[in-house]
Amino acid sequence: MAEEGQVIGCHTVEAWTEQLQKGNESKKLVVVDFTASWCGPCRFIAPVLAELAKKLPGVIFLKVDVDELKSVATDWAVEAMPTFMFLKEGKIVDKIVGAKKDELQQKIQLHAAA
Amino acid sequence: MAISGFEGFEKRLELQFSGDDPMISLGLRRLDFESIEEVLDAVQCTVVSAVGNLFFDAYVLSESSLFVYPTKIIIKTCGTTQLLKSIPPLLSHAHHMGLRVCGSRYTRGNFIFPQAQPFPHTSFREEIIYLEQSLPTDLCYRKACVMPSKLPNQQYTWHVYSASDEYHHIEQMAPDMFTVEVCMTELDRVLARKFYRRLVDGNSGDVAGKEMTALTGIGDINPGSLLCDFAFDPCGYSMNGMDGTRYSTIHVTPEDGYSYASFECVGSTEDDRNLIGEMLKKVVQVFRPATMSVSTTGTCVSQDVWTRVKNALEPLGLSCRSCVVDEFPAAGSVVFQTFTTRRK
Repeated sequence: MAEEGQVIGCHTVEAWTEQLQKGNESKKLVVVDFTASWCGPCRFIAPVLAELAKKLPGVIFLKVDVDELKSVATDWAVEAMPTFMFLKEGKIVDKIVGAKKDELQQKIQLHAAA
Repeated sequence: MAISGFEGFEKRLELQFSGDDPMISLGLRRLDFESIEEVLDAVQCTVVSAVGNLFFDAYVLSESSLFVYPTKIIIKTCGTTQLLKSIPPLLSHAHHMGLRVCGSRYTRGNFIFPQAQPFPHTSFREEIIYLEQSLPTDLCYRKACVMPSKLPNQQYTWHVYSASDEYHHIEQMAPDMFTVEVCMTELDRVLARKFYRRLVDGNSGDVAGKEMTALTGIGDINPGSLLCDFAFDPCGYSMNGMDGTRYSTIHVTPEDGYSYASFECVGSTEDDRNLIGEMLKKVVQVFRPATMSVSTTGTCVSQDVWTRVKNALEPLGLSCRSCVVDEFPAAGSVVFQTFTTRRK
């Protein structure tokens, strides 16, 4: 699949809903990166996330720009960036606020294995 | 006192910028990560973690903190970093964005291990020479001063260098805001031990940092802020706080013999009168230092503010030993107070 090993950008609410649905049905760990183009820390973590996506095809990585999808950002109460939401079968299992490389790796390993 | 050890006392640099475009909006926040890395390479530190909100970006560094606002940058670094070397690359990148520096302030306390410092931090005189050469000549109002304390062996003095251009000097930037920089030494030994990593916890520095924040009570200092915290191995702790437009930051070097902790935050004369005192009380309760200094900077800083600081700390057994006030271009007034727990 072309999408495996990559961070999938969701640019419309429809695309977001579709990807979320696919993720829930797959029973895989879904990691959502809420990002903003004007946020320096998001630029810092972007290559780390891309690297993790390549190494872990068993995890789904989605990216949401908070300006493009304002309603989604509000629904999920995103106030600082980057915010990483961890979802499994439609439920939020964890959250990280901030570009924290080590915590990101640690939590992905933890929840992917569960 | 140890012969040598990690230098906790930080060097702090603040640069204010202006541009011809009246709609600056993002300004310095547009700096790409390679440019930030270039600046940090010059200083010899790296980014550990970071977070941003609507108003600014905050980075926890290997040796302290970096805050990037659209027209203001604050870098605070400890150890043997060459902080002032950040100025040339910063001015160059800002220039490419159509921004020029209009105000600058450099402050630091007294190094515990001054002989270990590299150029240009070998002496305040060297630092001043470097600043004079690095800042553009249109910053025509300049002042350098070493503010004294009455503590023996010149333990605590406050070094200030500030520069301003014609317009910044007259114009009041955020007139109700002031910065509070707190330095603490001889931390309570039992409390300091909480800043050591537990032997085999297998946690990342970010996760361990979160635990330390909760365990030590740092999380209660300003419960409304979003914290980005990190626990170093085998010991040491850094935290940046975000609360709307305001940052706060704490750095801890817990080793006995040269223990040090710093706390910095932003206050406003519009805040509840007791807010700053309450925060300082909680900070002291986390560290219980034997000696500390509080430096308050702003254009609105009046006797009322430093009296509140004194009144908050005295009930905790910290007696005010000195209080010195001076005026600086771009900064306004700087008040430097020192406190100790026993007669020295």
